[in-house]
Amino acid sequence: MKPTGILFFPAFDWAISPTHPEREERLLYTRDQIFEEGIMDLPQIREYEPGIASHSDVARLHFCIPDVAAQVTEAHLISAGSSLRIADAVMQGEVRNGFAIVRPPGHHSMTVSHGNRGFCNINNEAILVEYLRHKYNIKKVAIVDTDVHHGDGTQEIFWDDPDVLFISFHQDGRTLYPGSGFLDELGGPLAYGTTINLPLRPRTTDTGILYALDELIMPLLDEFKPEIVINSAGQDNHYTDPLADMAFTAQGYAKLNSRLAPDIAVLEGGYSVETALPYINMGLIMAMAGMDYSSLREPDFNPVRFQESSGNLEYIKQMVDRQLNAFRHREEVINANRKKGDDFFKSQRSIFYDTEYISEDQRISLRNCNKCGGFRIIDSSAQHHDGKYYTAYCISVPFWACDGCQQEARSLYADVLRKTPNRQVFLQDRPANQFRCYDVETEKETIL
Amino acid sequence: MLIGIDVGGTYTDGVIFDQGEIKASTKASTDSEDIKGSVLRVLEQLLGARNPQDIQRVVLGTTLVTNILATGRGEPAGLLLLPGYGLPHDAYSISPHTWYLKGAVDFRGREIEPLDQKELAEALRAISAKGLSRVAVAAKFANRNSKHEQEIREYILENYPDIKVSISSEVSGKLNFPRRAVTTYFTAMTLSEWNKFADEIESALQQRGIDTSADILKADGGTVSLASSRIMPCETVFSGPAASTMGALALNRDKLNSVVIDVGGTTSDISLIIDGEPLYAAKGAVIENHLTHVNAFAVRSLALGGDSPIIVVNGIPELSPIRQGPAACFGGQVPTVIDAFNIHYALNIGDAEASQVKLASMAGDHALSLDQMTAVIVEKVTERLMKAIEEMFSQWEKEPAYKVWEVIHRRKFELQQLIGIGAAAEAILPPLAERMGVHLFMHKYSAVANALGASVVRPTLSVQVHVDTAANICTIDPGGKQAPLPQGAKTQLEDVKALACKYLVGIGGERGMGDYTGEYKFFMQEQFNTIRGYSGSGKLFDVGVQVKPGFIKEYKGVRS
Ligand SMILES: [Zn+2]
Ligand SMILES: [Zn+2]
Repeated sequence: MKPTGILFFPAFDWAISPTHPEREERLLYTRDQIFEEGIMDLPQIREYEPGIASHSDVARLHFCIPDVAAQVTEAHLISAGSSLRIADAVMQGEVRNGFAIVRPPGHHSMTVSHGNRGFCNINNEAILVEYLRHKYNIKKVAIVDTDVHHGDGTQEIFWDDPDVLFISFHQDGRTLYPGSGFLDELGGPLAYGTTINLPLRPRTTDTGILYALDELIMPLLDEFKPEIVINSAGQDNHYTDPLADMAFTAQGYAKLNSRLAPDIAVLEGGYSVETALPYINMGLIMAMAGMDYSSLREPDFNPVRFQESSGNLEYIKQMVDRQLNAFRHREEVINANRKKGDDFFKSQRSIFYDTEYISEDQRISLRNCNKCGGFRIIDSSAQHHDGKYYTAYCISVPFWACDGCQQEARSLYADVLRKTPNRQVFLQDRPANQFRCYDVETEKETIL
Repeated sequence: MLIGIDVGGTYTDGVIFDQGEIKASTKASTDSEDIKGSVLRVLEQLLGARNPQDIQRVVLGTTLVTNILATGRGEPAGLLLLPGYGLPHDAYSISPHTWYLKGAVDFRGREIEPLDQKELAEALRAISAKGLSRVAVAAKFANRNSKHEQEIREYILENYPDIKVSISSEVSGKLNFPRRAVTTYFTAMTLSEWNKFADEIESALQQRGIDTSADILKADGGTVSLASSRIMPCETVFSGPAASTMGALALNRDKLNSVVIDVGGTTSDISLIIDGEPLYAAKGAVIENHLTHVNAFAVRSLALGGDSPIIVVNGIPELSPIRQGPAACFGGQVPTVIDAFNIHYALNIGDAEASQVKLASMAGDHALSLDQMTAVIVEKVTERLMKAIEEMFSQWEKEPAYKVWEVIHRRKFELQQLIGIGAAAEAILPPLAERMGVHLFMHKYSAVANALGASVVRPTLSVQVHVDTAANICTIDPGGKQAPLPQGAKTQLEDVKALACKYLVGIGGERGMGDYTGEYKFFMQEQFNTIRGYSGSGKLFDVGVQVKPGFIKEYKGVRS
């Protein structure tokens, strides 16, 4: 059997700030544990060296304002690039699956990036999805977000993409950052039902989470038939996590990963650096490599400590039924939306960047197309903490966009840059793998 | 006068070196059943009528430990493993005599689970019943807290005074439990035979009237005194490649990126030198198919040497890995690689006529022309060497990295020269150097560079300290001792560096390194703030300091 690829990049010289949860120490004890176990020496494991994502890998997914260099440090490019490195190893058949244990994380980062949100600047898994499409012509992808926080960035990015099934289970947004991820967030008008959220009550245990896995996530994957399954592998559902309040164990994480059998897992959050991460990471590696993890446990593990209440299990059951139903009726809803929609579906929203105190307003238009999921325009303006103001008109053409959408998007770009009140106009032309940015003031265009 | 002796698998080489010149050199077959005898015969030949009082230094590189382990002559030993809660037990296949015990500590050295005394007593009863008189003990994270290993040793000393115990925390302080367990187990298996060898060498030198004691060459390219070699005999494995690589450096001391190729009878050993410093194997030496904590050069061995016989398979000339004696030009029965190069490049080595006759007859048997035959062999040899070298470059370039700085400062291996070592290098390497577009450095002493290297390398020592200020503990490797911090919770990186130096000087002194301990360099300086809640609770440090491989002060280079 082929080995499991592991790419361990703990970024021991990078932190958001010295005492921030995203600091050098975060993967130190994970390093100690997996090196002491000698896991990289095993024939079942192949260790990979970090990669570096290019600016065009980032621009394929994000609109970085004002440019990629402003939004990423070398650490971000290595974290994203390492996810791509592991993806290459999987796609080229060197390994059967792969786990990028990397930081900084990315799942709160959205399409337009004005700064750091929820410890994230750029979205590793989403960059990975567009890379898989560009390099390997992949169409259907499933992302299962197992972080305790709602993967709001990833959700927003694939909100209008009918070929990405995004499933997130998380602690209920009424009790935890970022306050989203409710049952009725099911995707955009032409991609309805391929965003699935499962907000769980605080202190949900292994039993509850594995029930959701078996009864909701696995059936969804069976029916959606993705070419690739990605685990957005946060580790903060653990019972010792300081930022959340769930009761998941290392055994639970290991079981989840052996049943989910993701092709690629990428580390997201998880801030119980001593009492959870070393053991969860071991569990994930062993599960992905098909090894017996039955003797793995946390030092303070007590098998009878967390018992799922029958009330909570019943609550989860109801949510599972409701979400399965929404998914199974998605095409009817999409067809109805197409019929009743105008040329463009319009919406707007405000986004707050907790880490950097940036307030952003977006006006969003999605082309109502009967051949594809449509292309998307985000008209964004953001006020920074220091009073600076940024405006950008962002046109995003999906990799699988129909010819009509591609042409219309390109001519829109040429048209808009002559009359927009915004400072910058972007055209993210994924089918052409060309990422343009026009600066209205300097009249200069940069192409990545 | 300095004596260097390198016991290899096939041959034992020896030189007497003095005033920048080799005064005598000798080569004899190695008797793998009697390494001591092989050493002493070569020593005798070198000394001849010389005054033994003039010998200032004797350095030995031997394959004894490798032989003991490879031939199953090691002393049977029991292995007690305390793997804690992680990998399944079947992940560890080290010894047929393995017992698993409860008892666990974590990465900060905190006890998770105590020893189970009843279980320990049962294991020892079984070990004793099997008649094993040696035990190796390895516990996970014993390098952070060796309490359980110490308790087990005390129990055995008290209850089974005849059983000797090696514990892993004293063998290595590095992370990687399986490697630490293997290294401890091999140490236990080889200690008594190594000690016997050391005793015999000591008394032989005395009898011969040599005043100085012997030094032993280690896999890391440095020496250790014979007395100190008794602590961890495993360090003496792979002294052959270490001798050749250090010999190459002794002959060419430019700070360049070089590939050293030691072309022997049936093997070629390739090592890398980066900016004048030998490259180490990232994962430690592989002994008997197990990764260990023995620090060794990164060496790739190919079953390909000057004496590799030529055979024809399905009409195509090939190389056989099994030696059948010397090359035809040196009186051998079958044509070898040397013969092919001899004819193809008209090198006129030995009896070139014999090369010609044997090759021509083999070519004729398979309807090949002589030229076709030699061209194919030259191409195959060059190709295989080049492929191995390129794989080593790419492996070095693809080492994992754990810091942003390391990733963005990655380098490509930019080769500046080849250094040829061994008798057959001069014949075989020129086409390779030409193909790779670099200069081939050869020296008149290339053929005996290994023994020369052994005679002039200095002692090495690497000391690593792990400091946990919250626990007020400093752990010192080698030895595994723990001590409180002189500066307590206020300890800073500079304090830890000073501590590391203090221990280097102390341990080096005990091991007879003299003032070489003054020539240390730091190879690791890591510090982490440990934050609990919203403020700092302490710091963790890992600092490594070493006396790197180099040459003794008396060595001023060779006279050209
Ligand atoms: Zn999270
Ligand atoms: Zn379309």
